[in-house]
Amino acid sequence: MTRLRAWFLAPTWTAQIALFLAPLAIILGYSLLTRGVYGGITPPWTAESYQRLIDPIYLAILWRSFWVAGASTALCLLLGFPLALFISRAERHKNFYLGLVMLPFWTSFLVRTYAWMFLLRDTGLLNTALQKIGLIHSPLPLLYNDGAVILGLVYGYLPFTVLPLYATLERLDRSLLEAAADLGAKPWTALTRITIPLSAPGIRAGAILVFIPCLGAYLTPDLLGGGKSVMIGNLIQNQFTTARDWPFGSAVSLVLMAIVMVLLFVIARGEGESLL
Amino acid sequence: MRRRGTALAIYAIAAYLFLHLPLLILSIFSFNASRFTVWEGFSLHWYSAALQDSQLTESALNSLIIAIAATAVSTVVGTLCAYGLWKRNSRPLAGSLYLSLVTPEIVTGISLLAFYQWIFRFLRVQLGMHTVILAHVSFSIAYVVIVVIARLRTVDATLEEAALDLGANEWQAFRYVTLPAILPGIIAAALLAFTVSFDDYVITSLVAGVNSETLPMVIYAIARRGVNPVVNAISALIVVGFGALVLVSERLQRA
Amino acid sequence: MNRRHFLFGALAPVFLGACSRDRRPHLNIFNWSAYIAEDTVPKFEAQFGVRVRYGIYESNEEMLARVAGGNSGWDIVFPTCYMVKPLLANDLVAPIHRDLLPNLPQLEPRFQRPDWDPNLNWSIPYMVTAAGIAYNRKLDPPPKSWADMWDARLRGRLTMLDDPFDTMGACLKKLGLSVNSADPAQLERARAEAVKQKPLLRAYLNAEARDQLVSGDILAAHMWNTTAQQAMDSSPNVGFVYPSEGYAVYPDATVILRESKHQELAHQFINFLLRPDIAAANALTARTTTTNAGARKILPPDFRDNPTLYPGPEIVALGEWAITLDPATQRLRDRLWTEIKAA
Repeated sequence: MTRLRAWFLAPTWTAQIALFLAPLAIILGYSLLTRGVYGGITPPWTAESYQRLIDPIYLAILWRSFWVAGASTALCLLLGFPLALFISRAERHKNFYLGLVMLPFWTSFLVRTYAWMFLLRDTGLLNTALQKIGLIHSPLPLLYNDGAVILGLVYGYLPFTVLPLYATLERLDRSLLEAAADLGAKPWTALTRITIPLSAPGIRAGAILVFIPCLGAYLTPDLLGGGKSVMIGNLIQNQFTTARDWPFGSAVSLVLMAIVMVLLFVIARGEGESLL
Repeated sequence: MRRRGTALAIYAIAAYLFLHLPLLILSIFSFNASRFTVWEGFSLHWYSAALQDSQLTESALNSLIIAIAATAVSTVVGTLCAYGLWKRNSRPLAGSLYLSLVTPEIVTGISLLAFYQWIFRFLRVQLGMHTVILAHVSFSIAYVVIVVIARLRTVDATLEEAALDLGANEWQAFRYVTLPAILPGIIAAALLAFTVSFDDYVITSLVAGVNSETLPMVIYAIARRGVNPVVNAISALIVVGFGALVLVSERLQRA
Repeated sequence: MNRRHFLFGALAPVFLGACSRDRRPHLNIFNWSAYIAEDTVPKFEAQFGVRVRYGIYESNEEMLARVAGGNSGWDIVFPTCYMVKPLLANDLVAPIHRDLLPNLPQLEPRFQRPDWDPNLNWSIPYMVTAAGIAYNRKLDPPPKSWADMWDARLRGRLTMLDDPFDTMGACLKKLGLSVNSADPAQLERARAEAVKQKPLLRAYLNAEARDQLVSGDILAAHMWNTTAQQAMDSSPNVGFVYPSEGYAVYPDATVILRESKHQELAHQFINFLLRPDIAAANALTARTTTTNAGARKILPPDFRDNPTLYPGPEIVALGEWAITLDPATQRLRDRLWTEIKAA
């Protein structure tokens, strides 16, 4: 088996080394070099980029990214849990319900973000409708703020919580709930004391699947945030374009990756069944 | 219990509406004669504008070619890898794949750009379709591995042992016993890889070259300039297109 | 077996399609979006029997990121004047052979010897943009100066450009300083102004502001004159003004990349662009100011006298050309811009 297995794994190893690990190593190198006169990189080797990072403003950007990603993740979990519960309890058509959740995912993420641009602007549907009903008299500034960004992120990543939560809830032993009912527990108590704790693996998986992409989000804050706030993704992109400071951009990228890895270790620790 | 069942059902309806209404509204307004949110009559004007725009059609074709090529390669490579890992795990490889999954797109994109620029110092090759396809293959493999491994976990390992006992070699055991069993998973993985590739903006925009502009890049450029019903039309077409693709894949998986 | 046949059947036409290629000489041109007349490229293709691949970008930085590797595949790009030096410093530019450009004398005198390239060794001026204030006529009285963009009346109905040079430039001008300032103290004051303005802002937007200005969602926008002209074309509700404190001017230039394998053809394209009729058509379509004197003469009168694109001499005098900043200043400005954005 070993020989066949080696052949089977070889292409992936090649792809991983050439197209993932080597590029990361290059970025690591870049982060330790100096910015070229008008962009690019030159020697000398220096840790200056990392030193620059220890600065209140970048910590503020990091904090903001955490808060936006955290809010989006929390909302995704809150909104996704009841939906996953519903699907896991459905007697028939489970695959249909699941498919219905995944359907928006199969369309373009860009399109889904654009949908909210379309809906939230002053002359967009939401404002026009609210004004027609008479609830408001002048348009609400729904777009170009953190709320719009979080909404866009939640909308984009909600399916990512529903699936793992459903997978865990589906395997839940119903007899536990029956036993609780027999012992006199009210449905709400059964939910909070049994169902939710037992779905911890699903919650963890969903949290990882949403929090990490949201942390490094770039498109959604770009299109829905109005350029008024900076998240890490924007900062990195900015360094490689407008600022032409490749070493600094590389340093920020690697710090972001380090944070992600720490988070994974903390959240996924003790996970018996890993993703792979 | 029944009261809670109803409450959950109502919530589910609301959640599904939340998920689907924005896209539905987007599509409805793609038929609006006016470019503003006031309904001014049914019109296919934006669709004809979209289909006549050579930049849009060319980029759509590019996206299609890139997605098909990247899907083909990553599905094959990923399936083989999943099988290899299922037989016996390799912590380094699994770890590397997992890492590539959780790396933020912007980091993957700029690292690939830097990588290509280094390669080009020695190999005089240009940015183009192939650089984009390679980039897409690189991030798709992990998705394929996850889906196929999940499917493999439902396969009974003893079946292959039985085949080996009956005189088959390893390749035959894989090819005639396991592979047919996981084919639905492979198709699902291919669909996922195709979607992820077709949809990608961040990484593609960084490594695309002269003749490899993709549909998301064009959509983004238009969206950057403000709301434009042509984007509504394209979005509706994409939704319908992928809906059809999902249906086809469901049929294939069941066949 | 069926599935495999299906897959091969789907792939075959794709590969066949990718194999057939055009045999004519190629020229790859990378330009700003909406910055050329519709028929310029087809006319060039027809006259010279070539095939042009035309790509677009939305910002200088996007273009630079693409061509920085020296292997992007593009032959001609259109950097703004202050980007020419960075391109040169990174050895990305091919020298211009003036003898291949018989139409060169068509350029206006001040663009025959521009600051950024006095002998036109590396770049040929193309068209000019400037940044000012566009406003919806609902705003009464209309704005006249940068200071008016800090007016509390405009809260939530105001946008500034999402561009560090432009927005900091506006702040510098408001303080009576130069847009090209390299003085850290002055830049710090400009940053403070931007941060003071931020609560009034709806967003930092570029072209996205245009539709919102037309519909009246926003009342005043920091906008390039070409974008403003496009807004005014679609609605009489929009006006444009060059602020009284002065404003930044951005000539764009055509540059041939060193990596280009079609240097002579590239020169022919630049020469083609210098033809008065072609330059006039480009300026008309892009709604910009042309650098071509011959073109200016043949522009239709209402366009030629358009105050937004061709203002009178007293306004032209208020304009300040953007220059390339030295790396240390660039770094400082980037840092300040991040601070403004994160505030």
